[in-house]
Amino acid sequence: MPETNKTILKLVDLNKAFGGLLAVNKVNLSVQKGELRALIGPNGAGKTTLLNLITGTLRSSSGQIFFKEKEITHLHSHQISHRGIARTMQITSLFSGLTVFENIWAAVQSRKKFFNPFIRALKWQDVKEKTDSMLELTGLKDKAQLISSELSYGDQRILEMGIALSTEPDLLCLDEPTAGLNSQESMVLVKKMRNMLSGQTIILVEHDMGVVMELADNISVLHYGAILAEGPPKEIKENEEVKKVYLGSEHA
Amino acid sequence: MFLHKGKSFGFILIFSLILFIFIALPFFIDLFYQTFLTELFVWILFAISFDLIFGYTGLLSFGQALFFGLGSYTVTISILKMGLNTELALLLSIIIPMIFSWFVGYFSVKLSGIHFVIITIIFALIGNIIGETWTAFTGGSDGLTFSPPPFRLGLFKVNLIDIKGNYYFVLALVALSYLFLRRMVQSPLGKVFISIRENEDRARLIGYNVQRYKLIAFLIAGGLSGLAGGLYSLTLKYAAASYLHWSISGHAVVYTIVGGMGTLMGPVLGAGIVMSLEHYLVNFLQATDLVVGIVLVFMVLMAPKGLVGLIQSKLKRKEASA
Repeated sequence: MPETNKTILKLVDLNKAFGGLLAVNKVNLSVQKGELRALIGPNGAGKTTLLNLITGTLRSSSGQIFFKEKEITHLHSHQISHRGIARTMQITSLFSGLTVFENIWAAVQSRKKFFNPFIRALKWQDVKEKTDSMLELTGLKDKAQLISSELSYGDQRILEMGIALSTEPDLLCLDEPTAGLNSQESMVLVKKMRNMLSGQTIILVEHDMGVVMELADNISVLHYGAILAEGPPKEIKENEEVKKVYLGSEHA
Repeated sequence: MFLHKGKSFGFILIFSLILFIFIALPFFIDLFYQTFLTELFVWILFAISFDLIFGYTGLLSFGQALFFGLGSYTVTISILKMGLNTELALLLSIIIPMIFSWFVGYFSVKLSGIHFVIITIIFALIGNIIGETWTAFTGGSDGLTFSPPPFRLGLFKVNLIDIKGNYYFVLALVALSYLFLRRMVQSPLGKVFISIRENEDRARLIGYNVQRYKLIAFLIAGGLSGLAGGLYSLTLKYAAASYLHWSISGHAVVYTIVGGMGTLMGPVLGAGIVMSLEHYLVNFLQATDLVVGIVLVFMVLMAPKGLVGLIQSKLKRKEASA
């Protein structure tokens, strides 16, 4: 394991209760800079809830979240975005009536401090250049003028990652990027992700074990809201407990 | 869509043309129609300010009547009871509604969807009830009548009692407001509004303080609705509690939906068409609202993007087939 001063995200005794149900149960988790951490677990294990806590979409019941050594437990989503955490959603979340270009633009522009109401947006040359380079990176340049809802589903997933990346995050949370894609489309997506996301620190929630085993540096297994096991893919694959609750016999 | 190039020239041409027609018209029409058009300009201002929060920011506010009525009363009471000059009264008709819209917005923008709609109706209803009952101050449903002193700005002077002078005065302010709003919706701030309209959660996740920007949109729209109310009273020399009724907001809703929301030009067209229709029908029909209602239902069902949306899609098809 890398040394602790490279820890970028740290969850300490994090709890989230919905009524009597503990969706996230005393989770302690450290993510290192540059690492791709996969979060796996059966349906309802609390993976998305955990992401919601990290990105401020939900408030934790107790516990603390530290990002880049500062506490972010009680910040709002938009503040957390400015601290450097970006996210994609399980159900694609785009500015669906706007063009691909405008989608990326909105995200690039968000890093500005003051939104002048008296100039044309296109006067912001630096935003324009950055938007173009993000379109290049995502491979969506040819489709820049299409309305984003007209894109193929796979491209919509890519666009959402492009939006998240355009905020220049230090940590990117991806919530099931391959959800709804067939295995062939998943493979294409994973290939693109490798290109786009190299060097990024990532938390990846994913159901597709093939994708997880291929991309993850480390895996944390959630079960009933608690961390059941943690380690590199090989170790997790061999872990008896994990096999029992999650992977099932087909992966054994 | 918020980022497009090369359409400035076409816009300047059309805008100048329309402006020129309206500048020339008073020489060809009688005083009755000059007043009618002046009122139309006021409703256009009210509708485009509504378009900013509804069409661009996605907030269906029925509370705009409150700000319209407040602007109207601000002008009337400042001149009638406080003896202020018209310049100051008009300035206050922007500022005071803005202060109130900060208050209303502070509570409203935390809510979304139908809850937002209802709370804005409630605020307007409270305003209307206060207006109706506090007759010593507002004149209640009888209203207040006054006579505005000339508007002076340096050497520039407009006699607002003169119908033609009043016409040009209102036209100038509405045209300026239009340009101001057009620039705003094309500006970086406008992009924030549009992002919020398109997907509030996504906007939040990329770092926009959604509530703050909704409030800013609400303040700007409130100020301009106030100006519309102020100009309305300067035109009619009158204010009444009914201006505060939430159904006044319905005018803006109808014009914006018929013309096309989120386009600015849409509410202008919508106001022009609906008001002309009402004006024409009233000669031989009592239930003009019924016809307007049918037009509204038809537009919502057949052309949800309004007239401007219809024209745009026709042009697109032409482009595609060419």
